[in-house]
Amino acid sequence: MSRARLFAIHAVLVCTAALTLLPFAFVVNNALRDNFEYNRSFFGPPQAFVGLAQAGWRQATGDDRPLSVQLESGEVRSMTRGEVATHYWDKLTLGIRRAWTVLRPYLFNSFVVSGLTALGVAALGSGTAYLLARYRFLGRDFIFGFILATMVFPGVLTLVPSFLLVKQLGLLNTYWAMVLPYVAGGQVFAIFVFRSFFTGLPEELFESARLDGAGHWGLYWNIVLPLSRPVFSVVLIMNILGTWNNFLWPFIVNTNDQHQVVASGLYTMARSGVASSSSTMYAAYLLSSIPLLLLFIYATKPFIRGMTSGAVKL
Amino acid sequence: MKAPALTPARLRFAAGCHALLLPSVLLLLVFVYLPVTWAFVKSLYEFEVGSPARFVGLANYGEYLFSDPPTWPSVLTMFLLTAVGVAVRLTFPLVVAKLIHSLPFERTRYVYRLIFLIPIVVPGVAVQLLWARMIYADYGLINEFLRTIGLADWAHAWLNDPETALLALMCFGFPFAGGFEVLIYYAGLSAIPESVNEAAALEGCTGISKFLRIDVPLVLSQLKLILVLTVIGGLQGFEGILVLTQGGPGFETMVPGLWMYYNAFSFQRMGYACAIGVLLFVAILGLTLLNLRYFRSAEEVQGGSS
Repeated sequence: MSRARLFAIHAVLVCTAALTLLPFAFVVNNALRDNFEYNRSFFGPPQAFVGLAQAGWRQATGDDRPLSVQLESGEVRSMTRGEVATHYWDKLTLGIRRAWTVLRPYLFNSFVVSGLTALGVAALGSGTAYLLARYRFLGRDFIFGFILATMVFPGVLTLVPSFLLVKQLGLLNTYWAMVLPYVAGGQVFAIFVFRSFFTGLPEELFESARLDGAGHWGLYWNIVLPLSRPVFSVVLIMNILGTWNNFLWPFIVNTNDQHQVVASGLYTMARSGVASSSSTMYAAYLLSSIPLLLLFIYATKPFIRGMTSGAVKL
Repeated sequence: MKAPALTPARLRFAAGCHALLLPSVLLLLVFVYLPVTWAFVKSLYEFEVGSPARFVGLANYGEYLFSDPPTWPSVLTMFLLTAVGVAVRLTFPLVVAKLIHSLPFERTRYVYRLIFLIPIVVPGVAVQLLWARMIYADYGLINEFLRTIGLADWAHAWLNDPETALLALMCFGFPFAGGFEVLIYYAGLSAIPESVNEAAALEGCTGISKFLRIDVPLVLSQLKLILVLTVIGGLQGFEGILVLTQGGPGFETMVPGLWMYYNAFSFQRMGYACAIGVLLFVAILGLTLLNLRYFRSAEEVQGGSS
């Protein structure tokens, strides 16, 4: 490939990537600027950065003269180097600290809901798929059809009646209102993916393990599970992404704030008084992305490998 | 094949298996099949939560199809948004995937794939709120950019102006390359056998012509997957519209799914909302079957000629 052509491809890709990620760069910037700065200029770095840099420079050069700093109230005060640093550090993190106060319970609820769902989907999905893939018994194909058939029903068909059901069961404003339907729906994709993987495992593997005296449970626990790590990572990541990002269902089944998750909490936040502080709102977007970002960093390699190694057939 | 005899041992074994399958099956019965049944049954009633239901037959369907003013404009909006969604999701991510795939080093290819995957960590609702507040708002990225380069007259309240609200929804997510699609197309391109690429090179088929004649037909199954997912998402999805415009201004960006949501949770017309849900289900089912059928025949043609 010619050098000019390679350069052109990189240019297009970098521009597209920049356009894709630019909004998130603005989120970080705006999370660190107060309302006054935000309203004065849409672009531009956080004032607190400039202040911190100034204090840092004086620290480095050993300059001990006091600095004059203009406070929120407009009052100008003379401060030492250390005071300046503390002042600007507080200013820089104000939005994040405020957002954390509001978001902390939502994050906790999200962890509980997504965690319980992932656990349920992993256990039920792999167990059910193992039975369906490696055993022949009366009614097996019927059950598999019964499970797969649910893929036909779109969420829009069941949204309203599911709400009526959850309400009738008295589950509104509980974790179960989210976890149970999530596991019920989420296990189907998991069963589908696990089953096609388990079916492809060679029978000799099971033969030799049986000769060594492994029981049904032993085969599942010692043979099947260790071999299906890449499939687990794909299924669990897809599942966690789905439950973490679902905002409509939690928004509907939580009529009060107690079990609200991050996604629905953000929506509620954006429509409440908190939204008048731009830095708090932008910091909330930032904080809501961090758990999945960590998951992403930790799990990308096995995920991309799982998606492309042929372990997962879509 | 003849079914083996029903011995007590086989029955006992089957019963054991079914007992182990019970949790999965029970959850599906209660949280999928029961709501599906309710959707059909309750669509025949007029009721609010907590008050007695009144059987009205097919009146809910009749009202939605023939006398509710927002119905047909909202169906048109839904199809417009879906068509645009399909158009952008079949092109932008595919081009990006192709560009990444054509780079010579695995290391750079991996980095680019990673970069385009990053946006999936941001909750969808955060992205939507972000576009509403930071990009499309009167004091937002687009308008500030226009003002900076001296085009202040072009500044708009993009989501609040009936002229531009729908256009703004269509452009939501530009450049449409952040997410799983790039990865899916990339996997498809990687699966093209080297022999095909070599044959194409020998024939002098390179660049755009190779992309259109060789690559696109060979990633047809990936295109089909994205097409089906986008159409289904376009017909049933309304969260983005709820967050960005609430269906307004007026009914300018209303879609049937959102109208269902309002009927259920704002107007308390549960039976009527169920009827809209059933109609959307029928539309989705019909379009999905059509998709599968059309594309299967296209694949057979391709399989027959190669």
